[in-house]
Amino acid sequence: MDGFNLPLLLALAAVAGALVWRRANTLTWLLFSWGALWAFFKFGFTVPIPQSVATIYLGITTLALVCFASSSRERLEEVTSPIVRLIREPRYRLPLAALLVALPALAAYNVHADMNVPLEAPGFGREVHPAPPTEITVHGETLDMATADNPYIHLHEDDPAAYEEHLENGRRVYYENCFWCHGDGMGGDGMFAHGLNPAPSNFNDGGTLPILQASFVHWRIALGAPGLPAGGTPWDSAMPAWEKFLTTEEMWDVNLFIYDFNGFEPRALGQH
Amino acid sequence: MARHGISITAAHHPPAACSAAPRAVAAAVAALLATAPLMAQVDLGTEEQRAAGKVVYDKYCGQCHGDDGDGNGYATLRVKPKPRDFTTGKYKFRTTPNGMLPTDDDLRRAIEVGLPYTSMPGWPNLTSAEIDNVIYYIKSFSPDFENPDRYGEPIDIPPPLESTEESISRGRVVYEEQGCASCHGEVGRGDGPSAPTLVNDKGDPIKIADLTQRWTYRGGPTKEDIYRTFSTGLNGTPMPSYADSLEVEDRQHLVNYVYSLGDGDDPGYGTLITAVHAEEPIDLQNGDALDALFADAPMTRFPLVGQISEPGRNFYPSVTSIEAQAVYNRDEIAFRVRWNDLRADTTGRNGPSMDVPMWDEDNGIGGDAEDGAEDAADSGDFFGDFGGEEAPAAAEDDFFGGGDTGDDFFGGGDDGDDFFGGGDAGSGGAEFSDAVALQFPISLAEAGSPLKPYFLFGDSQNPVDLWFVNLTYGVADTFRGRGSDQVVPTEADIVEAVTSYDQGEWTVTYKRRRSSRAGISFAEQQYTPIAFSVWDGFNRERGNKRALSSWFYVYTEPSVQQAATLPVLRAAFLVLAIELLVVFLVRRRARQRAAGSDTAADAVAAAGAPAV
Repeated sequence: MDGFNLPLLLALAAVAGALVWRRANTLTWLLFSWGALWAFFKFGFTVPIPQSVATIYLGITTLALVCFASSSRERLEEVTSPIVRLIREPRYRLPLAALLVALPALAAYNVHADMNVPLEAPGFGREVHPAPPTEITVHGETLDMATADNPYIHLHEDDPAAYEEHLENGRRVYYENCFWCHGDGMGGDGMFAHGLNPAPSNFNDGGTLPILQASFVHWRIALGAPGLPAGGTPWDSAMPAWEKFLTTEEMWDVNLFIYDFNGFEPRALGQH
Repeated sequence: MARHGISITAAHHPPAACSAAPRAVAAAVAALLATAPLMAQVDLGTEEQRAAGKVVYDKYCGQCHGDDGDGNGYATLRVKPKPRDFTTGKYKFRTTPNGMLPTDDDLRRAIEVGLPYTSMPGWPNLTSAEIDNVIYYIKSFSPDFENPDRYGEPIDIPPPLESTEESISRGRVVYEEQGCASCHGEVGRGDGPSAPTLVNDKGDPIKIADLTQRWTYRGGPTKEDIYRTFSTGLNGTPMPSYADSLEVEDRQHLVNYVYSLGDGDDPGYGTLITAVHAEEPIDLQNGDALDALFADAPMTRFPLVGQISEPGRNFYPSVTSIEAQAVYNRDEIAFRVRWNDLRADTTGRNGPSMDVPMWDEDNGIGGDAEDGAEDAADSGDFFGDFGGEEAPAAAEDDFFGGGDTGDDFFGGGDDGDDFFGGGDAGSGGAEFSDAVALQFPISLAEAGSPLKPYFLFGDSQNPVDLWFVNLTYGVADTFRGRGSDQVVPTEADIVEAVTSYDQGEWTVTYKRRRSSRAGISFAEQQYTPIAFSVWDGFNRERGNKRALSSWFYVYTEPSVQQAATLPVLRAAFLVLAIELLVVFLVRRRARQRAAGSDTAADAVAAAGAPAV
């Protein structure tokens, strides 16, 4: 349940339970559904979803609820009759007046709030893991992305001592070059991370290294931002093309090290 | 603690029960207890705990602090301040008196929270037990932790005084009397006359705290943190303890004064400058009118970080943020930027295309510092021939064998060692001047397209314009960048600038015509990408060795602002009209039905059953 606002979900479930218990009518259920979804889209996620997306979802929800309400003549009557009574019957005169005042006030408030939203820099979507090219050239050597693998990975089985040396070299490379952005603990939170947009990758995240092949990571290390396709907004990314600074061996070693440090393994070759 | 212990012992012995023998026992117990707290402080953990701590240390700490705890890890050469050398037993941030060892809680805090704006992060991923163990292991690096005499009781930190005007002005008097300004500067921007000369007891230059930027305080931003620093000093640095020379109350007033210098606990970094419209002309030569123009323009602070993507990397930039504002009128647009700098370096050279030898970033990697300084002086002579930033980029490139970033250049890393091995800021000082640049794309991408030039001085397809000011000359020069190694002077647009340095703060105000044929034009309601570079000559920053920002935006606010009243009223009346219409229709239909049908239907409707 990470990523959701649990107290809100529990509260909504409690209200729903109360409605079942009180045998609420269809109109109440419709109003509740709409309100609950509005609250869910707006406050339900720990990382807020974009306003535009929430608006689309809510629009679809509204349409669905209207379709449901008008799906049969009986249901339409069931939904509209409380409204008709509210409007017609003299004993509801006061609530009706309150509603007539409240709704325009709400609309006015909404427009006012919309006009006073603090200005924001325009935001653009960005592919986080854009599709890699079929082959890359690093230090003059061409690699087939589909088949290339870390040339030292097999040492893990064949020669553990040599493997440890490559790991240690990778550790040196990482802490001489990478941690300013990707962080000491590899959480993407290095001392320069706050000044960079897009933010540096978080290697602790189970949705990053494990879903990438070692060759993909090598591509990102060796060719950096300048090697990204346009969808990855290469003009914004501070990832250097490390082939300018590091040998091929150093780049494969640091590749080994970041997987090892986080206890992940690269996605296997040919696995899609 | 000791006295506390005795009083508890006494309290548990009612006077009536105090015969001679129990009294002797009580005395012995009290004597034991009196030494017990000191003994208890020497807590080096068990062998298992230290071994478990070593595992944590080797994974997370050794790369900076060294596998042997001597502060010599892989990263050490490229960070400032340098990682703590645990073998010295000296710690800056403690609750214990000057010269004493820190408590375990002090160490725990440094590990959990980290030291802001240094390479020491907080470690929220470590468990409490892991931190305990790693503290035991860290303590094992210095024999001082075995010596009970090096332990001191944590100081008392009284609740802070309210920041009244009297308290702050008393604090200001203390600030002056104690000579704080000689290092921290008159208004606390870390620009005192001694600031450039400060070193720690290992001889490493240290950057003094900028008291106006509380979020960068290594020891924390609260009044309690500030009081603690006054009262304990920072071991191994020139920051003394005032525990003996200042009364508690004066330290509290000083806290309030220092606190009043800051802008807040949080830098409040923004992403957008709002350029406001003005009717008045923008006259750079009329300082008062210019200040009045900018007085109403919102100020945005942007983070700056080191340029580490291209050769000439800067791992420890001096300047960590810049503030910016913008104003425009019918024809012109003006930008004002401000940042703090511990010294105005206005005699050296600088330029966005100046070459920086490989390895210049390293604190003396591959050669000792003295050689480096000597060589730096030599190379200074070479540079001198080019007459500063006026030198065409091409000439600089020729000298250094091409700005190309291929293997040849880096293969020559050893040459780099010979050049600027460890030339230090403090020694030469005036070799490089302070400088600043605004960066804009030369044209906007199509609407909706995220396309921008590469934020590091542009790329071959998408150039940038740089409004560069070398603060030695204080005038703006324009450069066009097509990549870090392709930055050349351009005369496309005339950009004017005025500069001033006041109490540790640089202010640079630029002005240009809003429209341009060669570069970017600033139309109303336009979002224009903008980025910043700052060079601190004192830190030997020049060329690509600079502090920089990502792309941000400047938004030219419409000159005529729409008032909210009309749309708000419109929305309210529209909703009201719809409501009234619905009410009217429902009631009319009901009336028609009542008139045209029998009363039974009405009764059914009133009962809430479906009426057909």
